[in-house]
Amino acid sequence: MHIIPLVLYLAAGVLYAVHFGGRNRQVGRAATPVLVVGVLSHTFVIGMLTMQAGHVPFAGTTPAISTFVWLLALSYLYVELAADERAMGVFIVPLLVVLQAIPAFQAGVEENVSPMLMSAWFGVHVSSLLFAYASFALACVIGVTYVLLFKEIKAKHLGFFYARLPSLDVLDTMNLRAVTIGWVFLTLGVIVGWVWASQARAGGSSDPRLQAMSLQDPKIFVALLCWAVYSFELYAGRAIGWRGRRAAWLSAVGFAIVLLNFLPVSYFFTKSHNF
Amino acid sequence: MHLLLLGVSHRTAPVEFRERLDFSARGVGEALAALAARPSGAEAAVLSTCNRAEIYLACEDLEQGQLDAEIFFAEFHRLPREDLRPHLYTKIDLEAVRHLFRVAAGLDSLVVGEPQILGQVKEAYGHASAQRTAGPLLNRLFTAAFTTGKRVRSETSLSDGAVSVSYAAVALARKIFGDLKDRTVLVVGAGEMGKLTALHMKSQGIRRMLITSRTLAHAEALSSVMDAVVVAWDHLAPALSESDIVITATGASAPIISRQLVASAMRSRRHGPLFLIDIAVPRDVDPAAGAIEQVFLYNIDDLQAVVAENLSKRTAEIEEAEAIVTEEVIRFRGWIQSRGAIPTVVALRQRFEAVRRSELARLEPKLTGLPPEARGRVEEITHLIIEKLLINPTEQLKALSDGESIALYAEVVNRLFSLSPGDPPADSDISPHEDLASALAATEPGAKQARRRSTKPPHSS
Repeated sequence: MHIIPLVLYLAAGVLYAVHFGGRNRQVGRAATPVLVVGVLSHTFVIGMLTMQAGHVPFAGTTPAISTFVWLLALSYLYVELAADERAMGVFIVPLLVVLQAIPAFQAGVEENVSPMLMSAWFGVHVSSLLFAYASFALACVIGVTYVLLFKEIKAKHLGFFYARLPSLDVLDTMNLRAVTIGWVFLTLGVIVGWVWASQARAGGSSDPRLQAMSLQDPKIFVALLCWAVYSFELYAGRAIGWRGRRAAWLSAVGFAIVLLNFLPVSYFFTKSHNF
Repeated sequence: MHLLLLGVSHRTAPVEFRERLDFSARGVGEALAALAARPSGAEAAVLSTCNRAEIYLACEDLEQGQLDAEIFFAEFHRLPREDLRPHLYTKIDLEAVRHLFRVAAGLDSLVVGEPQILGQVKEAYGHASAQRTAGPLLNRLFTAAFTTGKRVRSETSLSDGAVSVSYAAVALARKIFGDLKDRTVLVVGAGEMGKLTALHMKSQGIRRMLITSRTLAHAEALSSVMDAVVVAWDHLAPALSESDIVITATGASAPIISRQLVASAMRSRRHGPLFLIDIAVPRDVDPAAGAIEQVFLYNIDDLQAVVAENLSKRTAEIEEAEAIVTEEVIRFRGWIQSRGAIPTVVALRQRFEAVRRSELARLEPKLTGLPPEARGRVEEITHLIIEKLLINPTEQLKALSDGESIALYAEVVNRLFSLSPGDPPADSDISPHEDLASALAATEPGAKQARRRSTKPPHSS
């Protein structure tokens, strides 16, 4: 079922690439509606799964990825419409395609969900974190484009990106905004997760996964590492003038860690978050 | 009807001569009125910019039109015609169409792709409309020229990239800071180049401009022009930490802004980006300052390299732009040709109407006894009959688009309905031929005949 949004994201990605490469405005204008239709179909898919399962499908890594892709696409569309700037699409949409391929091609229906997860706390925990990650993905892409443009201007070789990207100032502001929003939701998600875990523990559940929820668990450890990186980025931007290129790099590094946490850690290493 | 263009541009005359042909001094409106009063007096438009003065005429008689335009040019600017002739170029019909399209596209400009020219062409047409000297031909011509100009701008990169040092500096500043509204600009030195760049920055609506110079009087003189704040020379360091963009253009023989000075300014401005534009020779800013994080240093050579690159990019787009112009010329030719059959249509209708009138006149004695309503009915019915009969032939004739079939159909229709012999189908418009000589050969006799005939059918519009 995830294949329909995947195909639409792919089509939108091609249009964004053509728009970016050839600076063709008409193609750019065509890309947005295709992406919107992709997001709508994705909304429908998620809605169907919710009806089927009786809860929002983000228990388990694969459904969570799908929800993450959906949130990222929504966030990107918001940025595109708010800033009237399509140049970023060529960087974001391929990410949507790659990640969406995981739920699209991974067979299997959702297994039985632990009753432990049927809690409102859990829903808040997962949705804030997924939203935080979507913001960080945007920040990363904005950061990468910042560095590309920065290099061209600094090297006095005004070329491909100079002609296509918005100004450094705009990119820097957008990066900061995305990181700030992401940081707020990351903080919220971690706190809610902690509260939920302690409640569940107090409720007397003896699930081994619950027992594994500590700093020693890679998933939790890496999430806190992310939190540290982004906290530093926000602090350094204010206190020691680490704006611009350095902030852009931090956004890229931060999201690399997020991805690490999201994919390999979730699938292979964690003992507490393998629902 | 022919289209005639007479003009002088930067390609044919030096500036000393062009400035004597400036229409804007006395007003294009007055010029159009004077032009319309001349014997050939048909449609007219005047395009006057600092690089060109051109007259566009739509007239029946090319020779007369050319003569009129020349006399007008000379008289209006009080110049002997002999002085004018060597600089004047004349273009006829599709050549003139192509010329205007190229002008509107920025292909004929001194700096290829410069953006103002399309606005100036619009202005020229605006004047012609206001003075009512633009008729159907010029209306269509200028509208098509705007389309061409817009297409070239949106479909090619002919107008992309700054092509002067000061504009290149502004474009860079915008790429670094985005909107320049909240920015402060510091001008160091009172040189002409620095002033020009500062003026361009000013036009971007910057928040504040500071000026400093070793000679205070120079800074003060400049500050009154620029609406800027004068800063004492020994306050350069604090001024630097307040500014986002610094333009240096002093005559100093050694760098006056050292790496250390920039580094300390960066600390006090919390490492916000700083754009240093060093257009002085010898340089005013220590090149090592460019290595500092968030500092962007461009000297005159760097900016000139940007300009050169932009110019070469524009040059690469010329071919594509010319192709668009050709497309639009062909489209315009199609329009012209679709009008080629109009004289035949008009003649045919007149013929039918004449027959109707004469028959009604002949039957007059028999109709006198009828009551007025019945007579009115007879008028109406006869009119309707010929309208019905004419619908199909009219549509068929108007759908023709190549010169050969227009001529053939005209010939046949003329014979079948014994329309006035020799009434040429193509005389009321520009010849569709690209080749000027054959265009003249094909249309000239017709045009002359048409002039001799007093009962020439009126123009379609």
